Amino acid sequence: MIRITLRRFWRGMAAGDYRTLLAALIVTIAALTAVGLLTTRMSGLLSTQANDLLAADAVLSADHPINPAAEQSALKAGLQVARLAQFPSMVSAHGKTHLGTIKAVTTGYPLRGQLLLQAGQGTRPATAIPAPGQVWLDVRLANALQVQQGGQIQLGTRSFTVAELINREPDAALDFSGLQPRLLLNQQDLPSTGLIGFGSRVRYRLLVAGTADAVRQWKHATRQQLGRGERLEDVRESRPEVKVTLERAEDFLRLVSLLAAALACTAVLLAARRHALRQTDAVALLVALGASRRTVASMLWLELLALWLLAALIGGGLGWAAQAGLEWAVRARLPAPLPPGDPLQWLAASALGGVLLLGTAGPALLQLARTPPIRVLRHDVSASPTVWISWVLVAICAGALLFWLGGNLKLTLIVVGAMLGALALAAALGWGGLALLGRYSHGFAARIALRQLLRRRWLSMAQMSALAMGLLGVWLLTVVEHDLLATWQSRIPADAPNQFVINLQPDQQAAFKQSMARAGYANIALQPMIRGRWTAHNGKPVLDRQYQDDRSRQLAEREFNLSWGDTLRRDNQLQSGQALSAAQPGWSVEAGLAERFNIKLGDTLGFDVAGTPVTGTVRNLRKVDWDSFRVNFFVTGTAQMFGNMPTSLITSFYLPPDNKTLVPQLVAQFPNVSVFDVGAVLTEVHRILDLATSALQLVFAFCLVAALVVLIAALETTAPERHRETAILRALGAERGHIAAIQRWEGSATGAVAGLVAGLSASVAGWLLGRQVLNLPTTFNYWLPLASMLSGIVLAGMVTAWERRRLSRVTALALLRDPA
Amino acid sequence: MNDTRTDFSEGMLVAKGLGKRVDAAGQSIDILHDISFSLAAGASLAIVGASGSGKSTLLSLLAGLDQPSQGDVLLAGQALGALDEDGRARVRGQYAGFVFQSFQLLPELSALENVMLPLELFGGKTSQAQLREKAQHWLQRVGLGSRMQHTPRTLSGGEQQRVALARAFATGPRILFADEPTGSLDSHTGQLVADLLFELNRETETTLVLVTHDETLAARCGQRLRIDAGRMTQWTGATA
Repeated sequence: MIRITLRRFWRGMAAGDYRTLLAALIVTIAALTAVGLLTTRMSGLLSTQANDLLAADAVLSADHPINPAAEQSALKAGLQVARLAQFPSMVSAHGKTHLGTIKAVTTGYPLRGQLLLQAGQGTRPATAIPAPGQVWLDVRLANALQVQQGGQIQLGTRSFTVAELINREPDAALDFSGLQPRLLLNQQDLPSTGLIGFGSRVRYRLLVAGTADAVRQWKHATRQQLGRGERLEDVRESRPEVKVTLERAEDFLRLVSLLAAALACTAVLLAARRHALRQTDAVALLVALGASRRTVASMLWLELLALWLLAALIGGGLGWAAQAGLEWAVRARLPAPLPPGDPLQWLAASALGGVLLLGTAGPALLQLARTPPIRVLRHDVSASPTVWISWVLVAICAGALLFWLGGNLKLTLIVVGAMLGALALAAALGWGGLALLGRYSHGFAARIALRQLLRRRWLSMAQMSALAMGLLGVWLLTVVEHDLLATWQSRIPADAPNQFVINLQPDQQAAFKQSMARAGYANIALQPMIRGRWTAHNGKPVLDRQYQDDRSRQLAEREFNLSWGDTLRRDNQLQSGQALSAAQPGWSVEAGLAERFNIKLGDTLGFDVAGTPVTGTVRNLRKVDWDSFRVNFFVTGTAQMFGNMPTSLITSFYLPPDNKTLVPQLVAQFPNVSVFDVGAVLTEVHRILDLATSALQLVFAFCLVAALVVLIAALETTAPERHRETAILRALGAERGHIAAIQRWEGSATGAVAGLVAGLSASVAGWLLGRQVLNLPTTFNYWLPLASMLSGIVLAGMVTAWERRRLSRVTALALLRDPA
Repeated sequence: MNDTRTDFSEGMLVAKGLGKRVDAAGQSIDILHDISFSLAAGASLAIVGASGSGKSTLLSLLAGLDQPSQGDVLLAGQALGALDEDGRARVRGQYAGFVFQSFQLLPELSALENVMLPLELFGGKTSQAQLREKAQHWLQRVGLGSRMQHTPRTLSGGEQQRVALARAFATGPRILFADEPTGSLDSHTGQLVADLLFELNRETETTLVLVTHDETLAARCGQRLRIDAGRMTQWTGATA
């Protein structure tokens, strides 16, 4: 039996019988392998790059010295570690004193990203940490203390030599706390300063870096053992801008892999149906010759197994080669080499391909094994056609696969919804449109073509739906690649603010505005800022331990930056409630924060601002556009709520990289002010954007191939019927010209309906994806349905032209003898 | 391959009150009524009648390819009515061979492999070489010794039917069912194929059941059964 099966399989291969199914399966496995490898490798790179902002892959932070067990477990897992202690302290030199943030580090810091040191007019990356007895000073601190490289400073009870000046720290932008200029010293020297004692406000950090898996495992284990005052820091949670960008990049990648898989599913489904149909006669013969159902079923399953193994080998190889080739093509644009690929991706893709094949071809083949032997005598007899359970199985299989790949329910629902919508629309338009066209069409060719399409109504609709599916994939990808990506890129303007100014005192407001105006920044907007601890929600105390996740605990534990103002800024959008006003005092809360803490309109929130309770009602929830990079607050109130409390002012502006004078001037004029460079975050966001764009373009190529296979499979579904009809027409004396005209009409009608449906569905789905999943303001694409319709006509026309050439080589007799 | 324990005393093929009813357009139509006959081992029977008279339906019931609505068939002593689909397949595999109007060769296999197909299905532990040898013998016997590696697409209609004959006789069947074996061939080729069929039938002493509308072909069989509108209207030859 195995021999017969394998022989039939190889002969079938040679004769091209498995061509479409095998191609569909190979493309599926190759696409899933390549897309899986690319997305995981790209995601890996994205995360590593984003982790530069953390100076590590993971950070355990605590208000007490870190438990050595955590460090031991990291070392045991083969991870690199570094320790850091950070606290505010006065630094003095030559009789001048300035508040600084002291950062005591151990060898290895930073584990990720670069610490840039001043080198003449430029910079150079640090290769070690300060030697004992030496410190490195932030340029701003050095300016404030008027100390040069080689000079002496006093820290606590010790004096140190200033060995280097720091231009940029990778983790400086991590949070707004401790924004005072930094002083970096070797942790060995810390005890000798005498600064650490009972009640010192020290934040201890354990920095960890290594392979993604090891880091994940370490984080998981550490999370289970977090004690009071300990938390795991994450770059996404620390910088909302980075979080938004990273998540959007991942959503884009998921979306494209989802599309590739959905297209491949369609191709396999179509090809499997055709494959099963082609097997019917062979199965009937085997049964007539006395083979049992079991034998036949085993043969069919064996054949599928052989097909799958072959496709897994070829598809896996192609997928691997393709992603390697694509990586090579864009390597110049990557900031660092991609992390190595995981062979598991190939196994997973092959397994998924297998599930898909079983899900799609399996039910058809099971049905086939029930072919009555009488079919050898009468061709009109076939196995009972309604096996609805198999279709439910296929739907569940495909749905589960897509959800697994999408990892996001909304995303999966929109893509699957668009596909089902396209199917329904294609069926309805196909049915109604063809009938209508048939009634009013003139001319021999059009009439016959439409009549033929209408006669095999179900097949025609299946074909149109499949064609629509393929075109939908292509157009949806075009929308994603072209429109959505462009919208995203345009959201982060080249002149997004990269400097934040904080600690400005209200009495310095006028002088500061004047200085800025002289530097070309007219009407710079200053916003009041005051720090407050969140103490009560609807009268109940807020305790950090009542929250499960790190970020909530962290937010509840730490002080909020609060502000006030009556007008809503351009990058803030009212989601619900009323705008704040003097007549309506209360809080305006960022929507994401409100969702996290279940804060509703009308709730009462209480803050402790420098010992004074400030309580108010939540008047509105607003969406913040973090892409704007402007100063934004999670919680704002109204001016009268804060009375005469001491506040400072904050602002942000864009400083061109070549302007080296403004910041030193500002710092000299307003020594209490901190000018804080978020250029690193911005650069990071731009880098993520570039990476995501490259990845998308790579994956796009694969999706196109998948879509093409769907189109071919779709057209092949009705090939036997078209051949037979052509043969009959030929036998009846139709000339080649007539047949060509009929085929043109058939192709155009099919292509037009499918194209129109695909275009409409892609426009709606693209618009929904932009609004609902990627949070990008998108507009409906009115030109797309028309373009898609034209492409459908052209495509179907090309395929029918190709088929016509094939048909013209065979005679009517041969066609009648061998209709398939 | 043949089961010598089976009792053929009633005949190699016995039809007992066969009837077939089908439902079409909400109506039940009787397409065969009360057909009974007995055919001895080694005999030949032609089922004749006009198109649509029920010839092929009768053949499908006799060969166990379909089930009757009334009556039963004894094939090589086994009552087909008592068997399920797989049971009937076993009986066919053991005793029957087939020749179809449309040849029914697997297009992807060569002539030799097509003939080997049933041999391999039931060959048990017989070696490939032996099966191949047997298939080659039968292909040579039908005059296709030089076309063994050709696929059906490259063979003419007559050649394809000769491959089908080789396939049918290769398993050494006790009974051969042939449905319009010359129906797809021109008269000259049809004549040659029919000659070959009867010659092989004589040599192997196989029982032959032949459906045809060709009276000349029917005349070459020992018995003839005529069907009109599903009823047996004439039996010519030995006992019915």
